[in-house]
Amino acid sequence: MHLFILQRLNGKELNKVFKQVLGWLIAAIFFFPIYFWITVSIKKDKDIFALPPKLFDFEVSFSAYEEVFGISRFLYVEDMGAVRPGGGDFYMMPNLVDSIIIALGSTGLAMLISILAAYSLSRIPIRGQQHFMGWILSTRMMPPVAVAIPMFFIYKNIGLMDTHLGIIIIHALMNLPLAVLLMKSFFDDIPKDIDEAALLDGATRFFVFWRLIVPLAIGGIAATAVLCFIFSWTEFIFVLMLTQTGLKTIPVVSTSFVTSTGTAWDNMAALGTAAIIPAFIFILLVQRHLVRGLTLGSVKQ
Amino acid sequence: MTPQKSYSLPSFMNSDSSLPWLLPLITMLIVFAIIPFFYNIYLSFHEFVPAKRALLFVGWDNWIRLFTDGVFWGSLKVSLYYTFMCLLIQLVLGMGIALLIDSDDPGFGIIRSILTLTLVIPPAIAGMIFLIMEDANYGLIPWLLKSIGLIGPEDTILADPTLALWGVMIVDIWQWTPFMVLILVAGLRSLPSEPFESAVIDGARPFQVFRRLTLPMLHKVIAVAVLIRGIDLWRMVDYVFVLTSGGPGTATYTLSLYSWQRFTFVQWGYGATISLFSLIIILIVGNAFIHFAKVKW
Repeated sequence: MHLFILQRLNGKELNKVFKQVLGWLIAAIFFFPIYFWITVSIKKDKDIFALPPKLFDFEVSFSAYEEVFGISRFLYVEDMGAVRPGGGDFYMMPNLVDSIIIALGSTGLAMLISILAAYSLSRIPIRGQQHFMGWILSTRMMPPVAVAIPMFFIYKNIGLMDTHLGIIIIHALMNLPLAVLLMKSFFDDIPKDIDEAALLDGATRFFVFWRLIVPLAIGGIAATAVLCFIFSWTEFIFVLMLTQTGLKTIPVVSTSFVTSTGTAWDNMAALGTAAIIPAFIFILLVQRHLVRGLTLGSVKQ
Repeated sequence: MTPQKSYSLPSFMNSDSSLPWLLPLITMLIVFAIIPFFYNIYLSFHEFVPAKRALLFVGWDNWIRLFTDGVFWGSLKVSLYYTFMCLLIQLVLGMGIALLIDSDDPGFGIIRSILTLTLVIPPAIAGMIFLIMEDANYGLIPWLLKSIGLIGPEDTILADPTLALWGVMIVDIWQWTPFMVLILVAGLRSLPSEPFESAVIDGARPFQVFRRLTLPMLHKVIAVAVLIRGIDLWRMVDYVFVLTSGGPGTATYTLSLYSWQRFTFVQWGYGATISLFSLIIILIVGNAFIHFAKVKW
């Protein structure tokens, strides 16, 4: 729309076909690495390393998925991992489960805390509200390493190291600034008259919040939850530093596919593909609120 | 009249006051944001001494070491260069793409949807995608650059001290330019059309309109996008971790990666000092930016 105005000003409108071609070319450039990664997961080794790269005419094989998700384990008793030269075990189902537990848990915790806080910030002004919001925003600036190093010692002392709960708490903390500021912007969209009318009728604040405002904000709550889920799902450095053995989420474990015979690209790509496809579906579902989410509620679509 | 009144909580715990609503948030932020901050300060005056197997008080040693450590200054330079260059490229590229795809013609909705996809890829996996694409022997990108003669047949990207950082930055630019595009498109769409229409009548030239109308009216949106992107660029560690681990040599150490690396070498105090430095810088610059760019939440 905007460019259209600019062109009309110039007296010559950019050719519609040219614009379409350029637009699709840009989309293709940005989509290409994703496509390439998906093909690696279903290629055989000889095609992965072929030059010029085989983009369309390769042999399709799902053995990488079989190894990573242990489909064969349900069918046979033998250990698939032992067959592989290099001795790597690529069975990643437990890590997928860990990732899901952590992402769901941290999303739930962050949402619980942030909905309460955001409602209050939206409806009951406090002294120094702007400074309080600034403080929340400042916690968004902390480099993960600067939090993870002290947390490493604190977790060691209180026994949260290597536990789901520990990672759930730290991921919830990481998502709190986003969740609070975003939920506040959604609550701000709901007219305050609704609260005031109900309060005059003798309803308590909590009743107003729980029975009137939360149902009205349910779309915003869902969008915020999806973003929290995705940021926990993709988080790397906290899990890397606050776990030692066993518990590893998908992003961290996917960097460990290096065996004595080289990097197991096909297995890594299979795991990576499986990790990004659900995120794609989620993000397209909340696309309407995406920009607001990415800007912590400050730019509305 | 209501009998329940006698059981109710003290007034500051009543749901009409904001304290009970904010208490979980404040508790969480104190326990997991304030305490680690002070713990970091404590650590920066201590260091693990292997001979005694204990964390001992070392005074200002870590800070003195910080300012005399060439690797630290190198990593500070890399962090600044990485943040600034990526921000600039993503903003300019993002604005160009946003102006192009801000259109109601059929198909552009789908193009915008495709552009959202890179944003949800775990950065570590995005690093992996480019690790295979930039592989010295089998990689697509070196092969392409060699065949058009931009680099010599023996050259590599990630093992080359000058190219390695760009090998990392290309991942960031690929993954996060769409972030700028989507925010700027939303900004462009929210602009009122009247000022532009009257500019048409006055016969203004497109570039003038862009500079004098579009950019000033998008000021707030651009400021927010730059702030959030700048914070994340400064904190970035996933890509370098996956692609180069700081190499070759120390050419791609960022502050965060260097801090993490010192930490794994059991120089806990020094690692904490580097991360604290990085934290203080971003708090000062970030809050100054919010103040001067008048960003409001």
